[in-house]
Amino acid sequence: MKRNVSRLVLPHEKATALMQSVVVTDVEKVVMPLSMHSGKNAIPVVSVGDHVYVGQLIAKEDGDVSSPVHASVSGTVTAIEPVKTMGKTVDAIVIASDGKNEKDPSIKAPVVNNVDEFLQAVRDSGLVGLGGAAFPTWSKLAAVKKAKINTFLINGAECEPYLTSDTRTMMEDGKYIEMGIEYLRKYTGAEKYVIGIEKNKPEAIALLRERFAKDDSVVVEELDSYYPQGAKQVLLYNVTGKVQKPGTRLADLGVLIINVTSLAKLAKYMEDGMPLIDRCVTVDGSAVNKPGNFVVPIGTPISKLFELAGGLTEDVERVIIGGPMMGHAVEDLDEPVVKATGGVLAFNKKQAKLFEPSACIHCGRCVENCPLSLNPTEFARAMTLDNEEEKLALLKKEQVTLCMQCGCCSYVCPAHRPLVQTNVAAISFVKKHRTAR
Amino acid sequence: MSRFKVADAPHIHCGWSTQSVMLNVLIALLPVSIASVAIFGLKALLIIAVCVASCVLSEFVFNLVTKKPQTVSDLSAAVTGLLLALNLSTNVTVYQCVVGSLFAIIVVKCLFGGLGKNFANPAISGRVFMLLTFSAVAGGANPTIVELTTSATPLEIMKNGDVLPSMTEMMLGLHGGAIGETCIVALVLGFVYLVVKKIIKWYVPVSFIATVFVLSFVKSFDITYSLYQILSGGLFIGAIFMATDYVTTPITDKGKVVFAIGCGIITFVIRQFFSLPEGVSFSILFMNLLVPYIEELTHKHPLGGVENGK
Repeated sequence: MKRNVSRLVLPHEKATALMQSVVVTDVEKVVMPLSMHSGKNAIPVVSVGDHVYVGQLIAKEDGDVSSPVHASVSGTVTAIEPVKTMGKTVDAIVIASDGKNEKDPSIKAPVVNNVDEFLQAVRDSGLVGLGGAAFPTWSKLAAVKKAKINTFLINGAECEPYLTSDTRTMMEDGKYIEMGIEYLRKYTGAEKYVIGIEKNKPEAIALLRERFAKDDSVVVEELDSYYPQGAKQVLLYNVTGKVQKPGTRLADLGVLIINVTSLAKLAKYMEDGMPLIDRCVTVDGSAVNKPGNFVVPIGTPISKLFELAGGLTEDVERVIIGGPMMGHAVEDLDEPVVKATGGVLAFNKKQAKLFEPSACIHCGRCVENCPLSLNPTEFARAMTLDNEEEKLALLKKEQVTLCMQCGCCSYVCPAHRPLVQTNVAAISFVKKHRTAR
Repeated sequence: MSRFKVADAPHIHCGWSTQSVMLNVLIALLPVSIASVAIFGLKALLIIAVCVASCVLSEFVFNLVTKKPQTVSDLSAAVTGLLLALNLSTNVTVYQCVVGSLFAIIVVKCLFGGLGKNFANPAISGRVFMLLTFSAVAGGANPTIVELTTSATPLEIMKNGDVLPSMTEMMLGLHGGAIGETCIVALVLGFVYLVVKKIIKWYVPVSFIATVFVLSFVKSFDITYSLYQILSGGLFIGAIFMATDYVTTPITDKGKVVFAIGCGIITFVIRQFFSLPEGVSFSILFMNLLVPYIEELTHKHPLGGVENGK
């Protein structure tokens, strides 16, 4: 029986959808964390005092799930020091720009003749999932060596409110999306390409439909504007009807999902060999004077973005890197834009108002709105149990580890209970016990 | 420098609160409250005032005495008081109303840990307690705006075989009964409001009422009889406002429907085979007890999970 997943309607707030992205290169310094991807930290290959060019490798990947880091400005490495980024503290390479933005002279388009060379090129490009997951793209595409991939889902759902950087890619870089599909076709042999876009982006849908009108292998699929339409399991299910079971990989279903901006960036790299050094970031929210989309070097401190967006209002209270549902609130504006940063938001006092949690009234809205049909009330109940065995048994029965922290449960809870945080605590409890045994 | 307040994601919220949910329920009960006063006179207003005041006050005092955070502003005690009042007939005394309210709030709700922890519906428990303690609570009392030959409720009439009120009188509530159960039109207005506001699911009350209708029809093959069955007694108010209570009903949609159908079956059985004319309160109370089992049976299978958690 077909399920009804992701029915949550959020305010879209896509005011910047039709704002052409503005390319910005004059940043004074960039901060490049060694972990802008999931997997192992990259290893620095430059030292303090070194001069670097734009696109030069400054940290190389470590192992099969990791990603290299490239200088996004030309200038001098001034420090390799711990910085706060996305809720953790990681070593970062700090580069003071010389203002020249000199391109690394050794950069040229990669020579690719077979799938191995293709995967090596993707590896060298420093690409990661730009939708937010930040999984190294080459690690993902390596699956084509082991499993037959029939279908690529190209994720243009962009279901988080406010964010429109993927929308801009779809409207400005259609050419590269098309080229990217050709590369995938050539080296993975996949026959079908579905570009999934939420209905609230009619302009992007129209443009891409026009572009692929004559290509039957590419389908531009209009998705309902429900959150979290762009989540892996949700997109997979809503587009293909398939479900990824625990302990299996997506590739086992003959499917891979790639973010639309990642795909366009892949094609750009194949064209000129310039690794991932910049990205489009949406700057929006009630405390932003002039919201917009800006293409900035990776590592740009977010203070620069707000400066570009006309500054912050007096009553600014919360600053978020990422979307309002899954983004991460920061204490100051020093944190850098990382590879997967699709937006930075600033909320005023009114919008950032916090509410005191009250007792659960068992209304079931969290269960109803969980895209995976999990039961957050049971997770919360489990976390109140004293007996660790019982707690673990209940959490395992309720399969808490499937939770992807999309935030739907907290969003709909009339009692303002911190359900996502309880889920996170429950997941780490289960994982701790798993490794303990 | 720490300029900004950090908070955990998500950073936006739908805007609902427990208070707004309860306020919506109160608004949905407004038409039937007005109708009850119009039909049964100022005594109905007195019952409502006493029950609401007693419920709110008893919760306030309980929290004060037990040094718990004050919760009366969530309006749930007011909802309990209003629902209890609407389920009483004008035969009750003020003293009985106070006792029933105290039982509902203190014994059924607060002693179990307050809102969200009680397993039985406080208003229904209060009513059933009064039913067992003071016999005059249930049954009929004459509407003040129409001349009636009998104060018996339609359900009592159906058992005795007297002349039933007309269908129009049934819809408008011009017959004996609890003050808030008779006016079907006003109750349906409240139902539509709750559905539109997404506070309740339409199929929960409908499943309850339809179950009673279908079973009555199977028994009698008489549409008119079956209609009288569903329009009489506390079926509408119970199905719309009590079988949809969040705290005391299952959490999943499927569970809520199972609960409603169960209520319908028990209501039918009590009405047909027991000496009691009315079964809605007992059916809901009984199904409240079965909620943990229904939850177990209607447990959702997570997308991308393994079957049965194994």
